[in-house]
Amino acid sequence: MSILLRNIIRFVLLLLIQVFVLNEILIHQLVSPYIYMLFILALPFNLPRPALMLLGLLMGLSLDMFMNTMGMHAAACVFIAYLRPFIINILSPQGGFETTQKTPSMTSMGVSQFLIYAAILVFLHHALYFTLEVFGFANPLYLLLKIILSSAASLFLIILYEMLFFSRK
Amino acid sequence: MRNLIIFLRRYFNFFLFLLLEVICIVLVFQNNNFQRTAYINSANNISGKLYDKYNNIQYYFHLKATNDSLVAENTRLHNALASSFDSVSTANGVRIDTIRKYSDDSARKVIGAEVRKYYYAEAKVVNNSLNKPMNYITIHRGSKQGIKPNMGVISSSGVVGVVRSVSDNYAVILSLLSKSNSVSISARLQNGKEMGSVHWDGDDPEYATLRDIPKSAKMHKGDTVVTSGFSALFPENIPIGYIVGYMQGDKSSTSRPVKLKLATNFYNLQYVYVIENLLKDEQQRLEDSTYKLIK
Repeated sequence: MSILLRNIIRFVLLLLIQVFVLNEILIHQLVSPYIYMLFILALPFNLPRPALMLLGLLMGLSLDMFMNTMGMHAAACVFIAYLRPFIINILSPQGGFETTQKTPSMTSMGVSQFLIYAAILVFLHHALYFTLEVFGFANPLYLLLKIILSSAASLFLIILYEMLFFSRK
Repeated sequence: MRNLIIFLRRYFNFFLFLLLEVICIVLVFQNNNFQRTAYINSANNISGKLYDKYNNIQYYFHLKATNDSLVAENTRLHNALASSFDSVSTANGVRIDTIRKYSDDSARKVIGAEVRKYYYAEAKVVNNSLNKPMNYITIHRGSKQGIKPNMGVISSSGVVGVVRSVSDNYAVILSLLSKSNSVSISARLQNGKEMGSVHWDGDDPEYATLRDIPKSAKMHKGDTVVTSGFSALFPENIPIGYIVGYMQGDKSSTSRPVKLKLATNFYNLQYVYVIENLLKDEQQRLEDSTYKLIK
């Protein structure tokens, strides 16, 4: 499958999972998991930065359309799309990741590297999104708990997704 | 000039990032404006249709609860029917029936000479959220069926919210479960008639807070809180919730907040009624012209 087709399918699949499965699940007021930003996390390594940010904006706006949160998801997505190359640069070994695997995943980056990479970006995404959603620091403990617990839940789902679709070498 | 272009090209990524973020933030703030119609929301055709399809499947799992609520409402309406009462003869004076009849299409033309104030339209819920600070409900009924922004919405058991934006066939309702002050419903105690307002604090979709009720008001657990009918959105005496207990309030204040269990069960909402107030414009015009006189 070509990388383009694979990413288009992933875009639609993640959007549908997010809207029709995850948004319907009520675990707790503090835990609302998001998996759709895995699309941005799993875009090819060699994609130029403007493209990354525009795709992030597209993904965010698509989700905003379904969730009536106009611009909030888009802002968080553009934010992590902008920061993604920095994080990859810090985590990459000398000479960059091997070019046979063109997208970031557990097999191409190694399990621990990928976990750190995903955890940082998921946390940043949730931090910005929930700050915009709650809009105000009147209850910082609530906000912090929500960011941490939701990040943990999202990360768990992302690991599950990766294990389902990328287990083979 | 050359240096400026070099500078811009060098930091192109950063400026693009700033530009996109500014666009997003502007969208966020524009969306907070209650009157403005937002186009990218679940009322548009793509997401509305998709939610509609999905709801067709999900609907089956709620059939039992939906049926129960409809039967309960039928019982209530039967009890309110005139034929359920043994009435004493009132034919000792001349009475004029003042019910005005309207045509059923969206133009609502007057057929009879009598006055009708509220017109109810049923609508199917196709999407509903519960766990956000601002919750929205999408219904399958839009401007083609006569829905306009700022109409009140109730369920068979109580108040649901206010219509916020409308497309051809869908409408988005700002649910009572919205944390900001954009939704506050004018309420009163059914027994004592004291006025207050109902807000949601963003925690539990089953409970809300009733504010501005004076400390002197007599309240008991289980008392009903109903709409006051002062706002043009809802008719009088539609249940909002039932009193559960007092909440910790400001001691120096003359009012105290009361915790309410909401009458509407937002978990299995399937059908709602949109209320059109046919005399709203007249009331609004009179109130506006009076304000102008005072100024």
